[in-house]
Amino acid sequence: MKQLHTRFRLITFIVIALLFIAGLYGVYSVNIYGRRWFSNSKNTRYQAAKNNVIAGDIIDRNGITLATTDQDGDRVYQSSLKSREAVVHLLGDRDGNVANGVDSFQANYLLGFETSLGERITDLFTSQTRHGDDITLTADSKLCTAIMEAFQSGTRTKGKTGAAVVMNYKTGAVLALVSLPVFDPQNITDSVKSDTQHPFWNRALQSTLAPGSTFKIITAASALENLSGITDYTFVCTGATKVMDQYIHDYNMAQHGKISLEKAFTVSCNNTFAQCALMLGDDKLRKTAEDFGFNDNFLFRDIVVENSVYPTTNRNLVQIAWSGAGQSQIGATPLHMCMVASAIANDGVMMEPRLLTQVKSPAGLVRLRFSSKEYRRAVPEDIAKTLQGYMREVVSSGTGSGARVQGLTIAGKTGSAEASINGKDVTNAWFEGYIDDDALPYACCVLVEEGDSGGSVAAPIAASIFEYIKEHYGN
Amino acid sequence: MRERPAPKAPSRRHPDRRLVAAMMLFFFSAFLLIALKGELRWQGFALAVAVPVLIYIATMWLPRFFPADKLLLSIANFLCGLGVLVLYSTDLDAGTSRGLQQAINYSVGIAAMLFCILMVRYVRRWKLFVQIVALGSAGLIALPLVIGTEVNGATNWIRIAGMNLQPSEVVKVSLLLVLSYSMSRRRFWPWLIFAGFCLAVLMLQKDLGTALIYYITALLMYFASTGNLPMTGLGLLGGAGASVLGYKMFNHVRVRVAIWQNPWMYYEKSGYQIAQVLMAIASGGLFGVGLGLGAPRVIPVYFTDCIFAVICEQFGIIFGILVLVMYVILILRGASIALRARRGFMGLLAMGATVMLGVQTFVIIGGVLKLIPLTGVTMPFVSYGGTSMVSCMAMIGLIQGVASVNQDDMEYDYEISRSLRDQDDLPRADRF
Repeated sequence: MKQLHTRFRLITFIVIALLFIAGLYGVYSVNIYGRRWFSNSKNTRYQAAKNNVIAGDIIDRNGITLATTDQDGDRVYQSSLKSREAVVHLLGDRDGNVANGVDSFQANYLLGFETSLGERITDLFTSQTRHGDDITLTADSKLCTAIMEAFQSGTRTKGKTGAAVVMNYKTGAVLALVSLPVFDPQNITDSVKSDTQHPFWNRALQSTLAPGSTFKIITAASALENLSGITDYTFVCTGATKVMDQYIHDYNMAQHGKISLEKAFTVSCNNTFAQCALMLGDDKLRKTAEDFGFNDNFLFRDIVVENSVYPTTNRNLVQIAWSGAGQSQIGATPLHMCMVASAIANDGVMMEPRLLTQVKSPAGLVRLRFSSKEYRRAVPEDIAKTLQGYMREVVSSGTGSGARVQGLTIAGKTGSAEASINGKDVTNAWFEGYIDDDALPYACCVLVEEGDSGGSVAAPIAASIFEYIKEHYGN
Repeated sequence: MRERPAPKAPSRRHPDRRLVAAMMLFFFSAFLLIALKGELRWQGFALAVAVPVLIYIATMWLPRFFPADKLLLSIANFLCGLGVLVLYSTDLDAGTSRGLQQAINYSVGIAAMLFCILMVRYVRRWKLFVQIVALGSAGLIALPLVIGTEVNGATNWIRIAGMNLQPSEVVKVSLLLVLSYSMSRRRFWPWLIFAGFCLAVLMLQKDLGTALIYYITALLMYFASTGNLPMTGLGLLGGAGASVLGYKMFNHVRVRVAIWQNPWMYYEKSGYQIAQVLMAIASGGLFGVGLGLGAPRVIPVYFTDCIFAVICEQFGIIFGILVLVMYVILILRGASIALRARRGFMGLLAMGATVMLGVQTFVIIGGVLKLIPLTGVTMPFVSYGGTSMVSCMAMIGLIQGVASVNQDDMEYDYEISRSLRDQDDLPRADRF
């Protein structure tokens, strides 16, 4: 009987433990994913709430109102077409064509779902219609407009698709988030909907593309960390490295001869980095990539971004070699590559990208205030400092010279990545870089799809971004 | 010898009475709130009276006739009332009257509970009784295969005299009787044959959730009664093997698992339900959108499988967790009753009923919270449905029956010890 009772207690414990796990899991997942579930465009509840609640305003860092609600309850954006278009992917549109813009992802604030019971009771007595909270963004809408115009007026970027992200590498505050092509959220025509360039697609957050040579930052970090004496090692670039039965070529079939890691980084030599990747092996390179946030489930508070991928399957040597140059199934978004550059600039610490400066209730209560948060340490400080030197060299004497700005120290890395878009082989132009100045701690990433050359197509856009920052944020 | 202080006289106000009064007040005001919202609704007024009265009858009036565990009764009845309340709140402007129907189900459930209490107390010839029950149930559970109708992919309903019945729900009670009787007699084959037959029939009917509950309950009861770890492990392994085989063989099992892993990928078709459930839970937030508010009806089968999501949306995740805590208390009470039982059969019966309720709660709430794949079983006491209500209340009846027998036994002991002491020719109890 005593043993029977022990067993009774044991199975009772098992059943209760199961229920306990279910409850714990429920609290955990609602806490982590709740807002993503709620602000899903398929959730009819917040669509319905739009009829009962006057949605709050969205204001940029300069106090410009980007979105407000008129007397009929319709969402109204800025009056100028250009400024409307420049922030359309950042905000989203009223029909929810753009996924996870501020207007939909922050709907719990804008539509007043965070209102506490006390406030609801006060509302009951003071006003007829409920007002949502107002949101102030870290973003600079004029910078967004400037980037859009730089894209549209550049001779080699006109009509191209692409994206640009600017963020403060010390705090993680996102200054600009632009995706091309743009469209007018107040007038969505059928031609916009059927456009083969897919204007609704937010390329800065949703396109995971091969980062190409910009990934060499990570390969170099891994080599510096894992291969001792690599800085003194001399690679030999014959223009074609034979791996199994294939050759690794350089951009424009260049031959670099005897070359050090730093020099190879500056001229973006694929052969050297392919050799690096083979010396490191897939596991070590993947480990460093994962330190930089690849294969992580990005659950940022303010921004929904696609996860970046470094393949975890067994791969052959050709694929591993190409990984050193950011090809072969590696995928990252422009926002994530901007974070990679930011991590180097910030001495190895990657900040979580932030978009909200503050959320304020109609009664003036500040519900949320900007706070910066460390996302992860990507590389040790000494390696980050070495890479800073490499990246400065890229701009001062290497492939990134197009990003130079008079009076600023710019560091960066170019990339010309081969990718397949809609079954067509194209070369995407990338540039990621930052201003090496504690007073102007800004990093950016520019992607020009089918732009061919990172150095001559993407870097000049970055230069115009840095120019704007120098003009408006420098003293 | 130091003199002991005189024992305090028990308080006249029993704590259970206050608990029941609070529950009655909660339901009275909640139904009144809905009844007065916007327009006057006579159904709301009727339920505002009927539900507290039913609760009073089940928790205060019935226990006058036999000893009962009032905390267990109170919690079960609170959950029943909550079901009626939530169902009635989803009826608003929808043209359905599930709230009223559920109140009727609830009263039938109370009758079923009473029946089971009386059964446990007064049946003497258990062997004959269990044999009859086993044969009758075997026929009943197989009936849907012959004259069944398909509901949501499972053929487990029959239609008799204008009423829809789900035999697998009622047979749960029979399963508990057969398992505990034959296990307490140290017999192996009778219960294995019966349980195996039920499982096979449930698999044929594609009622996977119920099959899972039957299986885990049988396994846990087998372990409790024998303590045979190797055999239990073998059973567990067999179950795991069967699930893998089921995954490989049946397409609908693969679909269930796929939508569990990522419902958003299959949103347009099979993932729609769980995606809606998650959106509903997230929309409720911590404290919920409020009684009768929100949009519960966009969730498919919100009134049975997914009612926990409706509760979370209206009352918030905190309340949802508290409901889970109520089930935990229910299980603890059930277990303590089982532990106090004098006879192996009674102990196993109460334990089995408790485990079955607990496992069923886990299968559905775990499914709704996306911890495990969602299967179509009901949430005990709360979900809409007459058969489900009857079977759950019947299980409470089994536990209560055992509790009352325990109480009788204890009183009998007390009588004996008192008469012995009065005779004074036997050693006194405290001298042992």
